[in-house]
Amino acid sequence: GLSFSQSKGESLQQEEALLEPASRLQSLRDRDTVTRFDREVDPDRAGRHDVPLDLSTRVKFREAARRVRPKKQTNSFMYKSFEAYNFFTFNFEPDPQDGSERSSRKRKKLKKAEDLFVIEQSSQDFLEVRKAEYVGYRKLIQRERESELFFTPSFRTVPTSIKLPENMKPRYLEDEGLYVGERPPVSLTNENILENRILKMEEKWFGDDGRIMALPDPIKESSTRPPLFHMEEDLDPALQTVYRKVRYTPTATLRSPPDPEGDYQLDVDVSGLIFSHHPLFSREHVLGARLAQLYDQYLTRQHNNLTGHLTDKLNGLRSALRNMLEIHGGQSLTQAINTRQLRDSEQEKDRTLLKNIVKVWKEIKALREFQKFTNTPYKLYLRRETVDQASDEQEYEDEIFAEVVELEAESEEDYQRKLAEYKKQLEEWKLSRRKQELSESEGPLEEGPPKPEPPEKPDFDSIEQRVREKASRIRRKPGESILIPELSASGNITASELCPKAEIARREDVARRSLFIKILYNDKEVSRTDSRSLNTDFRVHFGQIFNLKIVNCPQSINLQVFEEIGSSCSLLAQVFVPVPEPSVLTGGVPLEEFEFSSNQRVMFDHEGVGSDVPLSFEADGSNKQTLLTSGKLSCCVSWGIGEDDVPLAPPVSQQPGGMHSGLGRLDAVSYIGASGLYDMKKIGEWATQSRLDPNDPKNSSIMQLLKVASSGEVTAPEYFRLEQLQEEFNFVTDEELERSRRFRLLRLRNQEVAEFRNYKCVPALEREVTDKVFQDYEKRLKEGEIIDTKEHLDSHRALVAKYLQKIQESVINRFLLAKHHYLLSDLVVEEEIPSIGILGLNLFKLAEPKRPLKPQRKERKKVTAQNLSDGDIKLLINIIRAYDIPVRRPQSKMLNFICFYFSKPGQSPQTIQGSDWLFGQVQVRPFVEVSFQRTVLQTTTADGPNPCWNEELQLPFSAPNGDYSTASLQSVKDEVFINIFDEVVYETGTDKDRGTTHTRAEKHWLGSVKIPFSTIYSQSRIDGTFKVNTPAVLLGYSKERSHGNSGGYDILRSLSEGAFITVFITIEPQLVPGESIREKFDSQEDERLLQASERFERDAAQGYPDRPCITTVIDLNGKTVFITRYIRPLNPPQELLDAYPNNPQEATGLVARFVSLIPSLPDRVSFSGACDLWSTCDQFLTLLAGDEEEHAVLLCNFFLSMGKKAWLIIGTAIPEGPTAYVLTFEQSRYLIWNPSSGQYYGQYDTFCPLQTVGCLVNADNVWFNVQEYASPMRMSFDTTKAKLWKPFFSRSFSHPGLSSVQPEELVYRRVDKAAATELQDRIEKILKEKIMEWRPRHPTRWNRYCTTTLKQFLPKLELSGGRDMAEGHRHELQSLLGDNRISGFPLHLPFSEIRPIIEAVYSTGVHNIQASNVEFALAVYVHPYPNNVLSVWVYLASLVRS
Amino acid sequence: MAELHIIGQIIGASGFPENSLFCKWGVHTGGAWRLLSGLKEGQTQVDLPQIGDMAYWSHPIDLHYATKGLQGWPKLHLQVWHQDSFGRCQLYGYGYCHVPSSPGHHRISCVTWRPLGSWQEQLAQIFVGGGPQLRSPDLIYSGADRYRLHTEAMGTVELELGIIMRHFDKYGVDS
Repeated sequence: GLSFSQSKGESLQQEEALLEPASRLQSLRDRDTVTRFDREVDPDRAGRHDVPLDLSTRVKFREAARRVRPKKQTNSFMYKSFEAYNFFTFNFEPDPQDGSERSSRKRKKLKKAEDLFVIEQSSQDFLEVRKAEYVGYRKLIQRERESELFFTPSFRTVPTSIKLPENMKPRYLEDEGLYVGERPPVSLTNENILENRILKMEEKWFGDDGRIMALPDPIKESSTRPPLFHMEEDLDPALQTVYRKVRYTPTATLRSPPDPEGDYQLDVDVSGLIFSHHPLFSREHVLGARLAQLYDQYLTRQHNNLTGHLTDKLNGLRSALRNMLEIHGGQSLTQAINTRQLRDSEQEKDRTLLKNIVKVWKEIKALREFQKFTNTPYKLYLRRETVDQASDEQEYEDEIFAEVVELEAESEEDYQRKLAEYKKQLEEWKLSRRKQELSESEGPLEEGPPKPEPPEKPDFDSIEQRVREKASRIRRKPGESILIPELSASGNITASELCPKAEIARREDVARRSLFIKILYNDKEVSRTDSRSLNTDFRVHFGQIFNLKIVNCPQSINLQVFEEIGSSCSLLAQVFVPVPEPSVLTGGVPLEEFEFSSNQRVMFDHEGVGSDVPLSFEADGSNKQTLLTSGKLSCCVSWGIGEDDVPLAPPVSQQPGGMHSGLGRLDAVSYIGASGLYDMKKIGEWATQSRLDPNDPKNSSIMQLLKVASSGEVTAPEYFRLEQLQEEFNFVTDEELERSRRFRLLRLRNQEVAEFRNYKCVPALEREVTDKVFQDYEKRLKEGEIIDTKEHLDSHRALVAKYLQKIQESVINRFLLAKHHYLLSDLVVEEEIPSIGILGLNLFKLAEPKRPLKPQRKERKKVTAQNLSDGDIKLLINIIRAYDIPVRRPQSKMLNFICFYFSKPGQSPQTIQGSDWLFGQVQVRPFVEVSFQRTVLQTTTADGPNPCWNEELQLPFSAPNGDYSTASLQSVKDEVFINIFDEVVYETGTDKDRGTTHTRAEKHWLGSVKIPFSTIYSQSRIDGTFKVNTPAVLLGYSKERSHGNSGGYDILRSLSEGAFITVFITIEPQLVPGESIREKFDSQEDERLLQASERFERDAAQGYPDRPCITTVIDLNGKTVFITRYIRPLNPPQELLDAYPNNPQEATGLVARFVSLIPSLPDRVSFSGACDLWSTCDQFLTLLAGDEEEHAVLLCNFFLSMGKKAWLIIGTAIPEGPTAYVLTFEQSRYLIWNPSSGQYYGQYDTFCPLQTVGCLVNADNVWFNVQEYASPMRMSFDTTKAKLWKPFFSRSFSHPGLSSVQPEELVYRRVDKAAATELQDRIEKILKEKIMEWRPRHPTRWNRYCTTTLKQFLPKLELSGGRDMAEGHRHELQSLLGDNRISGFPLHLPFSEIRPIIEAVYSTGVHNIQASNVEFALAVYVHPYPNNVLSVWVYLASLVRS
Repeated sequence: MAELHIIGQIIGASGFPENSLFCKWGVHTGGAWRLLSGLKEGQTQVDLPQIGDMAYWSHPIDLHYATKGLQGWPKLHLQVWHQDSFGRCQLYGYGYCHVPSSPGHHRISCVTWRPLGSWQEQLAQIFVGGGPQLRSPDLIYSGADRYRLHTEAMGTVELELGIIMRHFDKYGVDS
């Protein structure tokens, strides 16, 4: 409609354009009559164009339009267009002032027009109006009825007898057991009417049962498919239609019906070509090509592995045969024979192929040698796989034996068969003879069969001979290694300059040639590739894909290879490529190789061998070959894929059928679900529930299935099988998969097993992974149970070490997973945005006066450990100063005094040795030596007992196994030894002639500080003054204070004893210390308590971030335990209390000493930073190793049982970092105990290592320090003041009565003196060996006398607790040894294992004395304490005879 | 003893009603497969795209499998979650796709769906978030009676996987 109106409008416009105004007027008037527009749009008026439009006329026009509207239904569009036309084109004249006059005039005009019409055409003159003829329905019916044309069947039931033939009783098939389907429901009235009608029609429509015959009801009761929700959207894309315009296709000649989208596309991929022979081949190329061909053949053969298959088959057949023979006796062997023959021929082929490969390779080598240059890059490697000689031989013999047996059997059978035949023939012959004899009288008959020859007996001996011969020909000799050829093209080609002229000419000729390929489609050239030059290896790579848009049906695709020399080109060969199947689509087809060849005859005068030219490789020119140019073109042709993956291929003619089979049972699917179909029970259930008609042919299959199932022939398996058919389709067995060494290595690396954690490159080939890789790992697994007593010297400690290792392993495994959990801060490093306050502070700092002499330590950038390597990390140690270094004492004081007093007054005191001391000149010349990981550096030598060095030492650090991961760094057990030595210069003699003095410098150990690397790592820097561990006795030195020293330190120093050193240690670059693992541990604590403790710790951390606060700890089982449970009075060993029954002070000291003698082992090291585990006191005493917390808890518990007021201090100390100390309140003053050293400090002690106090713990409560200061000197320990100490349990949250985790009583093992003595001897022996080992160039002499003397001192030292009471024995020693210059000291260590003792001895450097007349003395004393706690003393001295 | 390397990334997701998304993923294999190295499940970060509808994760996947059979070829199952402005997480879609079985680079878009609850649940979902989730997420890649589950389509997750196969040809599997 619309288009019509548009065209109408258009035509109108055209008309308007063409016609003169008058004529237009006319036409419009015509139209007006049609549309009845005449009244409103007056033609007269409409004609006037010159009058401008007025408002009122417009109104009028609108009225007109409104009036016309009812007619819209008929020609609304026309009207619309007309109206529009009018609206836009007409100019209406304005109404004149007197409207009435105008209208009357108009009417008049109209009347005139009507009159005219009437006069001209009066239709009434010719026509007459009539009524339509009509017969009423009733009348019609009546009329019909009268003529009896209609029959109205009655709706009464018809008796059965009428419906059936006469004398027949109705027969009910259902009753007889036959299947009768359910009839479709029809109302009784309808059925009756139908029956009546059919009876009237007298047709046979009734069945035997007297009812109308009917098919079963076809309607199913339930829908057979699940309901569809969105019909339109989910429409199968294959069913969707798309509107396409009609299109003209010029030549739609494809066989298929013309598809509107008829552009098919063929993709021709021309990859490249390889010449297997080319006229420009040199001789070497010919051989190389042959080698490559043979190798290809070898590879395909290897891939197919026919020999292997056949061997397997043969073996299978043989075993089957054996079984058969066992059961039935002799049977035919033919299949086995056939297979064996096949196998043998394949084996022979394999063998000859290998031989040929080797032969050609040898020829190539010979040729290369002969011509002195190399043209081809081929290289053949023969990889040998050694085989087990014995088993191989066995196999070989077995094979031969089996074959021989078979052959024997075969020939035997053959023989038997022949024999039987012979016998038969003999019988026949005899019969015919007899017949002949009988009929001889009757006359000569035809000659009977000749007498058969008996068959020969098979020769069994020769069989084996033959088999062996054959085997040696076709098979590898037993024990000979399997040769696997590997061809590579990695050899070097001799450069052209080094070749002879003919060869150069050939190469130049090669370089001049280029090739291209023309693509002919249906014999028309459609495209051609770029021309590519011929490479020296006679391969050309095109790699071009041509998309051919085709309309015509493809008949032939032809690729022509052209060779171009200069400007001329010649056709080399043609390759016809088959037209692909429509299913062959681009992307899914591999490249195919098409062989081509040309019979052109080409000859050259250079090295090129030419084509179709006889060629010989033999020296004498025999064995000529003729080679033709040939090669392989690799290309593929496939149908293209358009957008949306629509294949641009002609449709496949036949559709796969049988789509809708098996739909009949879908009701069952909707009933029991798809999975239920496999369940017999469910099907059976369904069948009974739905009253499945057993006679329905549709159900027969289900009924059959159910019958079979219920009869028990096919039973549904009782078990459920995962991954059915897995076994059948396995590539390899599980065992084989497990056996793969490479996979094992990969998995172990992935599991981060210690040995493989940082294994870098796993080889790609199985054979490159050797068993050696696993040796360590397997050894560790195997030796898990074996205890190494050699390392530990003490069986108990060895056991403990193993136990500890087990705990450690379990803990590490536990944390391995947790380690992979990351927080945001682990992954995102976000620099803190400086707040306004900090900004202001920084600005303020700018204005500060510069103080270049007081440099500030700057924060350095932290480095994550993963991208570090050896040598990147350095340990910076700044040795600043030391206080109160022991000073030298004159060798023989008494003697000196005597000399001084009794010598003549005029004698110079200088001559007396040691006079320096008297004059306060050189008392000591100390220097510091730092050793770490066996790197030793030292400072310069300073003077006096209070030296100042201010030197920085840099020590390199290397992590174990080059593993710089956080976990690995945390487990570094190395320690930094800071040793203070005194440099002593001795005059050895004076060379008076030259006026020089020979001196020898000796260093005497004065004391040491050791700091574990793990502490430095976790603290990132250590800054402070440490007490130097000085030996209890230093021969030749006194610890007396230097007199008359100025400075205010004296007062402070008086409170503490011993020497001190100030150092600053850090790691460069700064490493990010590992964080403890965040993991929630399960706990047996009350949930409320846990929440409270979490809150308490959080509040503490917020308020005072630098004060450690611990309320819950983790026990050895990995459970969270409240800290107060660890505090409980526990009895110390009775022996210790009995030692000083009257002196509680001494007893306290002894108990502290006992605790400090238990070796320290930081958890950080043993658990690789994972967490801090607290063991209970009994566990601690069993393990005999633990860190500060365990020591502190034990000491605190001992003190509590001794009736003291004691608390556990959780705080930080140097150098330990966060640690635990013990606080006691005695005689109205507080004492701070360092549990690992047994030392105690007063509250106001300057050199107390405890720096901050975080909280105090006892059995009842935990108090957190909320005072202004955390340093013990400036704070109060009165926990009752709530303002200073915030208690955990308060009135609002009272102590719930937590029971202790500690045992009620500790049971100690008795002192074992014998074991101690034994250990003592062993340590002594080991140390002596070590010292001799460290002095490889000098003889080490032992002064036995001195040793025995020293040995006597040691127990005394132990008794005194190491305190300086050595005055006496030094005198004793001095007097005993007389004029020997002796320097030495006792070392004291708690015993854990031998290694730390050796380290300590080594670090003192006593063995470094080079003097020729030096003698050594070494004494070891092991003092046993209860429970196998051992105190080790090593007295080491060097004696120089002066 | 064929080996399969799956190296690639979960690029991101688009077409979800909101775009502050993250994804939990996992690889499911049959019993014949052994994981030699790599993590076979994980979770991406939450991406809040400033522009556009697509949330980018660029989450790496690097797996090395050894297998003794073809059954149970690795499948990748995904769960896309939405984290709203309150930091609450709700499920936005389940999806799963097969790891391609041909070597080379593959770009996969995995469509996702979400269970549709009753009308009350849907109403609640509009106002307070949350929504029905699978009781056992195994259903993503198993189960036969799935047609009972009414779902609604959500967006697509884009993946980029590179497949390297080794020794499959040894056992007659053309790759």
